[in-house]
Amino acid sequence: MAAVLRFLIAVLLFSSIATASLSQEEEEFSEELLLKPLADRKVLAHFHFESKAPPTRTYGHHHRLFPKALYQLVQKFRIREMELSFTQGRWNYERWGGFDPISSSNAKPPGVELWAVFDVPHDLVDASWKNLTHTLSGLFCASINFLESSTAYSAPDWGFQPFSGSLRYGSLPREAVCTENLTPWLKLLPCRDKAGLATLMDRPSIYRGFYHSQRLRLSSTEFGSTEVESGIALDQTLTVVLQPTTSHRASMTYSSDSVLQPSWSLSSIFGRKVSGRCVLANSSNVYVQVERGLMSELKILHAEDEGSGADNLTFEKTWNNPGFELSIAPNRVIKEVNILHDETSIVLYEYLIDNYSNSEPFDLGFTWKFPVVWSSPQAPLHASRFLMGSGNERGAIAISLKATEPSDGLWFADTIENSCMLRFNVFQVVPWYVRVYFHTLQVFVDGKPQSVTDFIERMRISPSEDKVSPGVMEMALKLPCCVKSVTLTLEFDKGFLHIDEYPPDANQGFDIPSAVISFPDFHASMHFLKDDSLNKSPLLSKFQIPRRLVGLVSCYPSCLLS
Amino acid sequence: MGSFFRFRAFLLLILAATHLCCNSIAHSSSSASSSSTTMHTNNWAVLVCTSRFWFNYRHMANTLSLYRTVKRLGIPDERIILMLADDMACNARNKYPAQVFNNENHKLNLYGDNVEVDYRGYEVTVENFLRVLTGRHETAVPRSKRLLSDEGSHILLYMTGHGGDEFLKFQDSEELQSHDLADAVKQMKEKRRFKELLIMVDTCQAATLFSQLHSPGVLAIGSSMKGENSYSHHLDSDVGVSVVDRFTFYTLAFFERLNMYDNASLSSLFGSYNPNMLMSTAYYRMDLYQRRLEEVPVTNFFGSVMETIHTVSAYRAPSGKNSDKDKIKLSLDQSVGLDERRTLTSSNVQDQINDSNTKVSSVIPPYSYLHIFFCISCSDLKDGKALMLQDQLGLLEHLWCTFLNKAEKIEDVDILVNYGLVIMFPLVAKTNCKYEDLSIGGCCRTIV
Repeated sequence: MAAVLRFLIAVLLFSSIATASLSQEEEEFSEELLLKPLADRKVLAHFHFESKAPPTRTYGHHHRLFPKALYQLVQKFRIREMELSFTQGRWNYERWGGFDPISSSNAKPPGVELWAVFDVPHDLVDASWKNLTHTLSGLFCASINFLESSTAYSAPDWGFQPFSGSLRYGSLPREAVCTENLTPWLKLLPCRDKAGLATLMDRPSIYRGFYHSQRLRLSSTEFGSTEVESGIALDQTLTVVLQPTTSHRASMTYSSDSVLQPSWSLSSIFGRKVSGRCVLANSSNVYVQVERGLMSELKILHAEDEGSGADNLTFEKTWNNPGFELSIAPNRVIKEVNILHDETSIVLYEYLIDNYSNSEPFDLGFTWKFPVVWSSPQAPLHASRFLMGSGNERGAIAISLKATEPSDGLWFADTIENSCMLRFNVFQVVPWYVRVYFHTLQVFVDGKPQSVTDFIERMRISPSEDKVSPGVMEMALKLPCCVKSVTLTLEFDKGFLHIDEYPPDANQGFDIPSAVISFPDFHASMHFLKDDSLNKSPLLSKFQIPRRLVGLVSCYPSCLLS
Repeated sequence: MGSFFRFRAFLLLILAATHLCCNSIAHSSSSASSSSTTMHTNNWAVLVCTSRFWFNYRHMANTLSLYRTVKRLGIPDERIILMLADDMACNARNKYPAQVFNNENHKLNLYGDNVEVDYRGYEVTVENFLRVLTGRHETAVPRSKRLLSDEGSHILLYMTGHGGDEFLKFQDSEELQSHDLADAVKQMKEKRRFKELLIMVDTCQAATLFSQLHSPGVLAIGSSMKGENSYSHHLDSDVGVSVVDRFTFYTLAFFERLNMYDNASLSSLFGSYNPNMLMSTAYYRMDLYQRRLEEVPVTNFFGSVMETIHTVSAYRAPSGKNSDKDKIKLSLDQSVGLDERRTLTSSNVQDQINDSNTKVSSVIPPYSYLHIFFCISCSDLKDGKALMLQDQLGLLEHLWCTFLNKAEKIEDVDILVNYGLVIMFPLVAKTNCKYEDLSIGGCCRTIV
């Protein structure tokens, strides 16, 4: 009897140890939706799905939640990092923000953009890239296989990402994005578009938006030599900017002659409601974000409204204020920790979808009560690119950067010898048939031509070769903070194309891929109260940078060209 | 006595010679009429829209209508190759984003939620089209972009766009000519990439596109004949362009009445086209096609309805070829007889399964042919007679099975044939039966 007891106890202990060790390594999946009213009467909806798989060495090849197609992709091509985005529309940096985590990571050039870092020897990277493009074109129903030819991709060194030499970057500016690209993207999710937040994705509503961008980001430590093995992480985001339909109340004019913003709800912008969470997800949340600018305007409104004897607007009750009202009380209100000064901060209202079901769907409504006008935080420079000259006569590409109003010293500028300097990188790829003459580079600061060496810290040029490779330019510039505008011009000639090299719709012309401007010294992040529960939200933890990394994370607004 | 021996020796020689020629004829007949020896196992659809630009919206709607029909009737996305030369649904000129309509009542959104386009935009070229058909791709091309058909596939090839006398225009920049298409189909036949192929073309002068075909097993229909134009059906004033072509509109009208379980035949589909409504003559050619159109259900090409064979135990499928032969050769009039034969076959199956020592009898069909052929002189061999003999097969198979059970250990089939020869020779010499007796089954029965 005693022996049996001892045996049973041993078995129990063993099983508990086994399950304990197993439970440390688990696949995780979480889904989130961020809604944000934008300054120009539009609404931003940002879906974020994150899936994590433990390392193969300890967990094995079979996964429950992680999509098999991507796992096999990582294994076959030995991918360390990869990002693929499908975008239509242009991100309006002035109205929608240029200095927040969403715009820095989700404002993508139109068309298809793909970059990948491989863990293979240098001579095999190009072959891996070719096979990767073909596989992705079959997986996502797009012509990504056009990136296989050497005229379509480039190998940036430091201008795009601070990585080593096995990064390949390619972009197809004219690629159409439609339902057939979203279908396989959704099929990678454990619940697909049948349950959870992805049920909101009504295709006509998404593609009616002013901007829509679906992004897939893979990072793995399967093949690297890092000590910390974190397995494979997959981030899928869909960012849509929608225009809610105006209601009758909008016709009311107010004292300041401004029109009330249109009220919206999930069912009015998507035509659907959330009828439950995806049961395979660890967390399924909806967030509504109120920007700093909007928050400060609301405080002013509250002060005017209540008179001088009113108590301060407590954040717990801000979801019902004189400016707007949310139809459902949030589960939690998260306030940003403002380490600079304790003025207004970003507020997030969190909703947990666990309690909602088919019989009681989640339909959040946002009703504006008073017209409010605010502005979003801007990047240090506002960039635009255009062509000068006509045809072959003095044709030139010009990148123009204008300083924006600094929003209350939000960014840390690099101080060198007590003088404030602004640093930024420019990365531009131009197809071979636009023959850029790099020796004609001119820099105009505040309208006056300057010597190139005064402002350019370093530059890497890869001149184009006819029908072989595009022209790549990576430039690091440094300017004093007081500069108002910078313009870079490069002259070009048009190359000669054979008749079979023209696309079938040659009347529409050719698109040059977007250039990327990045600010290595600035970080776009939001700091929240250090709380364990926040770490469970992948969206918020991506927004939140731990303090030790302040100042090292870069923000990358892209400059778009049509 | 001596003359009798000489007669027997002479007969032996004749039998040996006919054995050799029967082998070759049997093999050639089996390869030529492959439809009788391979089973129809899967359906594929290759849907091609070759037109670019917004004013060719209707060609996209045509192709998507067929895509929707084919998916609805059972062919999965993995077996459909959809080639769309331009993007209409998310086109900046489309007032209804992510929606494509083929009717001005806008009841049906053809684009839906789950569309998968394999070749799109600039990828739809004559080169890629021919690569898909012939299966000659670069190694990196993924499986979803390949036509992975085999000798048991029925393929539906639908092409729409702008065409003319012996050509089809691809994206305003190149042409596919009728002899190119015929060559590609011939390559497909050589490589056994299809069992039967249905080509449907909706362009102007469509029938000229398949005028050069000469591979067997191909059925083709075009929306108009040489010198005729194909017209669009109606204009949608909301979208701003014509939304569907007449031929496809009436094809869809036919299919919308169907579901997966209907067995409307191809002849009713082809007969449903009214030249007055189409404003052109829908011409089809069936000279390369062996089966009669009344017997072919439309789901053989447009859907994916598979015959299920019920088995008692898992993992021991019966030889599908037996039941398939019975199904193909009997016309619909003999439905009663079909049931009989089906039950007989299934009882055969039972016998085979219950007898645990039996090997799966993939060896049955050709050799039963051969043994019948021995009984008659091979110079009389014509398809008709073989058919009649095959009707007897159901009855004979039972006996054959018992024979095979005994001969289970024989691996080398040639030895089996030689044994048969040796056994049969003295009997033939003795009985000296005539053909009429054999047809009723008298002589061969005793042998087998």
